[in-house]
Amino acid sequence: MPFGWVGKLLEVNLTTGEIGTRDTMRYAADYIGGRGLAARVAWDEIPPEAGPFDPENRVIVMTGPLTGTLAPTTGRTVMTGISPRTYPRPWYTHSTIGGWFGPELKYAGYDGIILWGRSPKPVYLVIRDGVAKLEDAAGLWGQGARETQLALRGRVDSRAQVLAIGPAGENLVRFATVQHAEENAAGHSGFGAVWGSKNLKAIAVRGTGGVTVARPDELLREVIGAGRFNITPAPAVLGVYSPRDGKNTPKPICTQSCTFDCHVVNTYGRAPDGRRTPGVCIGGVYLQDRGVETTEYRSAEMTVPQGVRFGVEKENAFHQACNNLGLDLWFRLVMQPWLIRCTELGIREIRGFPIAPDDADWFLSFTGQLARREGLGAVLADDLRRAMDELEGELPDELIRLGRELEFNFGFPAHREGRFWDEEPLPFWVISAMMHISASRDPTIGTHQSSLMYADFLLDNRELARRRFRVLSEKVWGDPDALEPTFENKAPVAIWSQNQHMLIDCFPICDFGFPQIMRPLKERRDWEEAEDISGDLYLHHRLFRAVTGVELADGELTRIAERAFNLERALLARAGRGRAWEEALGPHFRLPCRADGTSIDAEGFARLLDEYYAARGWDLERGWPETSTLDELGLPEVAAELQRLRRA
Amino acid sequence: MLKPPLKADSSLCRDCQACTLACSLSHEGQCNLGLARLSIAKDMARYEFAIVICQHCEDPECLDACPADAMHLDERGVVILDDEACIRCGSCADACPYGAIPNHKGADRYLKCDLCAGRAEGPLCAKMCPVGAIVLEAGREG
Repeated sequence: MPFGWVGKLLEVNLTTGEIGTRDTMRYAADYIGGRGLAARVAWDEIPPEAGPFDPENRVIVMTGPLTGTLAPTTGRTVMTGISPRTYPRPWYTHSTIGGWFGPELKYAGYDGIILWGRSPKPVYLVIRDGVAKLEDAAGLWGQGARETQLALRGRVDSRAQVLAIGPAGENLVRFATVQHAEENAAGHSGFGAVWGSKNLKAIAVRGTGGVTVARPDELLREVIGAGRFNITPAPAVLGVYSPRDGKNTPKPICTQSCTFDCHVVNTYGRAPDGRRTPGVCIGGVYLQDRGVETTEYRSAEMTVPQGVRFGVEKENAFHQACNNLGLDLWFRLVMQPWLIRCTELGIREIRGFPIAPDDADWFLSFTGQLARREGLGAVLADDLRRAMDELEGELPDELIRLGRELEFNFGFPAHREGRFWDEEPLPFWVISAMMHISASRDPTIGTHQSSLMYADFLLDNRELARRRFRVLSEKVWGDPDALEPTFENKAPVAIWSQNQHMLIDCFPICDFGFPQIMRPLKERRDWEEAEDISGDLYLHHRLFRAVTGVELADGELTRIAERAFNLERALLARAGRGRAWEEALGPHFRLPCRADGTSIDAEGFARLLDEYYAARGWDLERGWPETSTLDELGLPEVAAELQRLRRA
Repeated sequence: MLKPPLKADSSLCRDCQACTLACSLSHEGQCNLGLARLSIAKDMARYEFAIVICQHCEDPECLDACPADAMHLDERGVVILDDEACIRCGSCADACPYGAIPNHKGADRYLKCDLCAGRAEGPLCAKMCPVGAIVLEAGREG
C-alpha cells in the first residue's frame, strides 16, 4: 500500500448501474491526484464532442495524497467535467469544495470517483468502507440539498459525509451547485446541473479506515512549524477588514485539519430557525454588515450600481436559501446590480414579470424562481450572460452591454479583474488578466494565495510596498521588478502562481493557505519593519514528501504541474478555445481600473497574450501548446491530437 | 505529582479534526479518526460539536474496572492502558463516565489517552487546536 494515496478509484456507470474500481497508482507518478489526475481521466475518457448534459460527460470527484491527513487544509476535494456554465460554449473546467467529504471518501478506501452515463431514475450513491451501491432517490428528488444531507445521515450513518444537489441542479440551472455540509459548494462550474442531468441526487460516504503516512514525525514537525499562518495577510495586517466572531478571534472553519488564521470564512451567523451557520464572505454575501462593500463601478463607458444589502437577518435567509436550493449565490453579485440598473433606467418588468431588486422579499422569491425555472427565473436560469443573448433587442443596449461585462468571457462574475469588485491596481490586474487568458472559466479559479492578495499593500503605501515587493520578487521569481506596477514581464508571476496552484489542487489543499509567498505578519508594524517578507514558498512540497515519502525535488513537482496544466489546455483546445476567444477578453480591460485608472488597448492586450503564450511554450496563432512543449512533458499523444486538430 | 489535565470547551470547536489526526498520527503512524484517543461528536443539523476526551479523573474508574491488570498509573498519575495485556473486555470503556475510551472494532482495540507520554512539549491535541477548544490547564503543567 502506498503512503498518502489509498490506492483505488471508484467507477460508476449510472446507465447500467455497474460499479468497478481501478488502481490510482497508474496515474500517481505523472499526475499525483486531484485536478491533475482528473485532467488525465477527462482527456482519455470524455469524448471531445460530449456536451455537459450528455451521458458521456463525466463527473470526476477526486481527492489526493494529502486529503484527510494532518497536513493543514486537507479537506478539499476537486470536481471536474464538462461545465454547462462556460461561455460561449461548454467545455472542461473544475471546482474545488471544502469540508469533510474527501477525507471520509479516503477513509472508506477510495481516492476518487468517476461517474458517467445517466440513471433511468433518480438515485444516490452510498459508499461504506470499500462497498458502493446505488439506491433509489425517489423520495429525495425535489428536496433541498440540506434536507437531503440530513435525510441521508439518517438512512446511511449519522457520521456519513454527503454531497447533494438541490432543486436547481435537478432543473439544470447552469449555476447549480453541489453542496456539502452547511457552506461548502462546488459552485461556479454548474456541476449541480450535470448531476441533475444524470439523475444523481447525492453521494453519501462513511469510512472507518485511515491514511498511512510515510514519515509521521516529519509531518508533525512540518505542521507544528507551519503554525497559525495568516492566509489573508494584507487585509488582516492593514485592518482593511477583519471580520471576527464574538470572541474576537479569527477562526478556521471550512476544511479538515485547517489550523490557519482565516479572516475570510470564519464567522458564525444564525439561520432564520436559530441554528448556528458558518460563513462571512462566501460569494460576496456577508453575514455581517461590516466587511467589504459590494459592487459599485462608474466610468465613462459603464455604470454598475451599488448592490443593496438586506440586513443580517435577510442576508442570512438568502444565504441559506441558496445553500438549500443548490444555487451558486454569486449570481446575486451580477444579477442584483444589473436588475437595479434596469430600474434606474425606468424598466419595471422584464417579459411581463415585475422586478424589485432592492426588496429583500422579492429577491428571495426570485431566487426560488431561478431554482425552479419559473417566471423571471426561467429567463435568467441560464445565467446572465446567456440571458443577454436571449433579451437582446428587447432591452436598451446599455443593459445588454452591462450584462455582458458583468459576466464577461468566459461567462462568470468578474472577479479580481480590477474593475467591478476587487481593487487590483497595476500590476495585479495585469497578472490576473494573464491568468484569465488560460483559465478554463473565471479570472482566478482557486488562485487566491497568488500575489493578488497583496494589492492592498500597494494601495496603502505605494513606495513602501514597492520596496518590499522588490525584495520579495527577487527571492521568489529571481527578478526584482516582477511586481513593479508596469505592464511588462508579468508572465513569470502568472505562470509560477498557476503552476503552484495546480500542485495545490493535485494534493489538494487550500488555495488561500498555499503557496506561502509571504511570511505571517501579525500587524501593521511587522509590515513596516520587515525588510524581507518572503514566506515558506515550498512548504506544500515538503508536506507532500512527508506524507507520501516520494522524493521529488521542487522542480520535478513543478514539472508535474506544468504537465497537468498543459493537458487542461489541450482539453480546452479540443473544445475550440484559443487565441480568438481570449482576445475577446480585451475590451473588458479597456475599462479603467477602479483603483488607479489604468487600462490597456487592443494592441497592448495582444502583447500580453504573446508574452504569456510564448512563456508557456504555446504557439502565438492559437495559443495551443507546441508539439515540443508537450513532448518535453511526456505527452506526445496529446501533441499528435492537437496537430491533427490544427490540420483539420 | 501533578497531573496535567486537558480542558475542553466544545462551544469553540470547529470540527477541523487537527486534534484527532495529530493523535492518531503520533500514536499509530496514520491519520485515522477511529484510532485517535479522543473524538469529535457532531450534530450537523445544528452545526454543533462535542469533544469527547479523557478527563484524567482524580479517582479513575477505568483503572478500578480493569480485570486484567492492563491499566496502571504512570509517574505523572496518568492511567496507561497496556494493549498487550488488554483482554478486550471493554470494562474500562463501560466504566468511563465520559465515554472517552474508544473502541476500534476493526483493529479490536481499546484506546486510552496517555497525555502524549514522552512528548516533552505536552499533549499534541492542545498544541494543534487552532481555536483553543482544547487547552492544557494553566498552572498545573507536569
